Amino acid sequence: MKLRSLFLLASLLILGVVSVHAQDRKPIYVYTDSDTNISDWWTNTVKPAFEAEYPEYEIVQTIVRGVGGGVGDIANRALAALETGDDPQVDFIESINVESNADWLANDLWLEVTEENVPNIVNVVAATNRLPQEVPYRGSQVLLAYNSDLVAEDEVPTTYAELIQWIKDHPGQFVYNRPDRGGSGAAMVTRAIFEVTGQDPSLFVPGEFDEDLVAQFPKAWDLLGSIHSSIYEEGAYPAGNTPVLELLANGSVSMITAWSDQALQAINLGVLPESTKLAQLTDLPFTGGYSYGAIPANSTNVEGAVALANFLLTPEIQVAVVEQLGGFPVVSWETLPPELQEQYTSVITDVVPTWPGGDYGAAMVEGWYNNVATNIDRSS
Amino acid sequence: MVLLIFYPAAQSIVRTLTIDVDGQPGLSLSRYTAFFRDPISVANLMFTFQITILVLVVMFIVCFPLSIYLRFASGRIASAVQVLVLFPLFVPGIILCYALIRFLGSHGTLESILTGVGFSGYRTPYLKPNAIIFALVWESIPFTVLILTAGLRQVSNELIECARDVGANNWHIFTRIILPLIKRPVLIVFSLSFLGIFGSYTVPYLLGPASPQMMGVFMQQTFGQYRRPDDAETQAVITFLICSFVGFLYVRTVVSQRQTQREDE
Repeated sequence: MKLRSLFLLASLLILGVVSVHAQDRKPIYVYTDSDTNISDWWTNTVKPAFEAEYPEYEIVQTIVRGVGGGVGDIANRALAALETGDDPQVDFIESINVESNADWLANDLWLEVTEENVPNIVNVVAATNRLPQEVPYRGSQVLLAYNSDLVAEDEVPTTYAELIQWIKDHPGQFVYNRPDRGGSGAAMVTRAIFEVTGQDPSLFVPGEFDEDLVAQFPKAWDLLGSIHSSIYEEGAYPAGNTPVLELLANGSVSMITAWSDQALQAINLGVLPESTKLAQLTDLPFTGGYSYGAIPANSTNVEGAVALANFLLTPEIQVAVVEQLGGFPVVSWETLPPELQEQYTSVITDVVPTWPGGDYGAAMVEGWYNNVATNIDRSS
Repeated sequence: MVLLIFYPAAQSIVRTLTIDVDGQPGLSLSRYTAFFRDPISVANLMFTFQITILVLVVMFIVCFPLSIYLRFASGRIASAVQVLVLFPLFVPGIILCYALIRFLGSHGTLESILTGVGFSGYRTPYLKPNAIIFALVWESIPFTVLILTAGLRQVSNELIECARDVGANNWHIFTRIILPLIKRPVLIVFSLSFLGIFGSYTVPYLLGPASPQMMGVFMQQTFGQYRRPDDAETQAVITFLICSFVGFLYVRTVVSQRQTQREDE
C-alpha cells in the first residue's frame, strides 16, 4: 500500500515537473451531437476539469451534430468494429438513446455501468430510470417562467387548474409554442392530457398504444381550447422554444412555459430580464428528461471512459450542470451545496414525468392542430 | 432530370390512384375525395391560394413603380435604389424571418417607432397571415424588379417620346404602350413567383399562424409529425398538379417568345 502511494506520488511529481505532451496522454474519444451550448460546455468546462484531475488522459471531442445520423452513426461504426474486432475509435458518447437501435442491445454493444466500474453511479436518483448501460449526467425540465414585475408572487399558479384559470383571467399574457416545434409547448399540451387522464403519467408506456387513453384526448382539447382565445394575440402559437422566450423577454407576455436550461441560461446571459422567475407546478410537474451517456464495450480505453463517467457524476460537475448549463442534476439535490438548493427551491422536484412520444406523440400533435389551433370543426 | 423528377413524380401519382385510403390496392380516387372532404385540408389549400394571389398582387403593385423608376431614372439616387432593391437577394430566408419577428413583433422596432410618433393601437402581424405576405413580398422584390426592368429596357425611348408628342399622358403610356410590350416578362414573373410562393416553407412556418397552414408546412407536418406519409403524398400530388399547370404557362410563354424571335430573324 505504502509502496503504491509512494509510486503514485512519484508519478504525480514527474507529471507535474515534466510537462505532459499531448501525445503522451491516452486519448478518450468523445462524440456528441448535442446543441452548441452542450458541446461548448464540454470544451470549456468538462475537458479542462477532467484533464486536471486525470492528467494521464486527454479528451478528444468530436462534434457530429447535423452530420448524417449524428452519434447513431458512430454507434453503428462501433457495432461494425465489434463484429470485426477492430478499434471502434470511440470511447464515450455524450448523449444517446442506447435503445434506439435493437442491434446495439442485442449484440451487447454497450458497457454495463455498475458500482464497480463507476462508483458514483450509486448517487444517481431513481427518477432518471436508467438502463444498466446508461450514464445519466444532466437533466432538464419544463417549468413556468414569469415576469415578477407583472405577476405577484402569491398569484403564481401552483396547479394546472390554477394555471388555466390564471390564463383566462389574464388574456394575452400567456403563450406556449406549437407542440411539435419544441418541448416547452409540448409539455403544456401533454400536461393537459395528464390532467384529464387522472394525473398519472405512468399510464403512458412507450410503444404500446392504449386506445382507451387516446379516446380521452378530446377532453384535453376542450381544456386547451377553453384558453385558446386568451393566449397571446388571441391564439398565436410561435414555432419554437426560442420565439416564446423572446416574447417573454420583450414584455409581450408575462408568463410562458420554458425548458429549465434554456430559461436559466437566458437569465444568466441577460437575454431574459433579472425580474424573470421560475416556478414548477406542485400537483404534477411538467415533463422533463435526462441525457444519458454510454460507453461502447469494445472501447480501447475503457479505463479512461469509466473514469470520465465517474467524473461527470461528481458534485463539481453536477453543480456546473446547474450553474452553467441551467440543467438539472442527476444526483439528489441534497448532495449539492445548500446555497444552490436555496436558489432553485421553487423549481426543485423529484418527480420528472416523461411523455412517451412515438404514436402517442403523433396523436397528440395532430389532435392539437386539428382541435385547438383551429376553429374549423372537422366533424362538420 | 427524367430520373430525378418525372419518374418519382409519376410514381407518386400512380400510387395515390392505385392504393385507396385504407391501403387496399385498386384503382380509386378515394384519397382525393378524402382530401377534399376534410375541411382542414381544404382550408389549408384555399389559404395557400389566397396567400399566393395576395402576395402576387402586392408584389406587382410594389414592383411596377420601382422598375419603371429604375428604367427611366439615372443618377446616384437611382443606383442607391437599385442596390436596395437587390439587397433581399442576399438575405437567407431564415435570417429574414428572425429579423421580421424583431421588426414586426409586439414591442418590436416598428411598434416603438409608431409609439414614438404618437400612434398607439398597433397590432402585430407576427403569427398571422399578413406577416407571411409581408415577408414573401419582400423576398420576391429583387427577382421581379430584375425581370421587369430587363423587359422595360426593350421599350425604346423613342416610342414613348412619340406617344408623348401626340398627347398621351403617363397613365396611357403605361397601359397602352408599356404593359402590352412587357406582357411576356410579366407572365414569366407571375408564373415563377407563383411556384416559389405556393411551395414556400420557411416563411409561413416561422411567421405564419399555427392554423390554417400553407401547403408546404402542412405536408411536412402530415409527413413528419402526424406520421401519415400516404396523406402527405396526396397533398404533394395536388400541390404538384397545381404548380405544373402554372409551370406549363411559363413554358408556353418562353416557347412562344423563342418562336417570335426566330420569326423576327
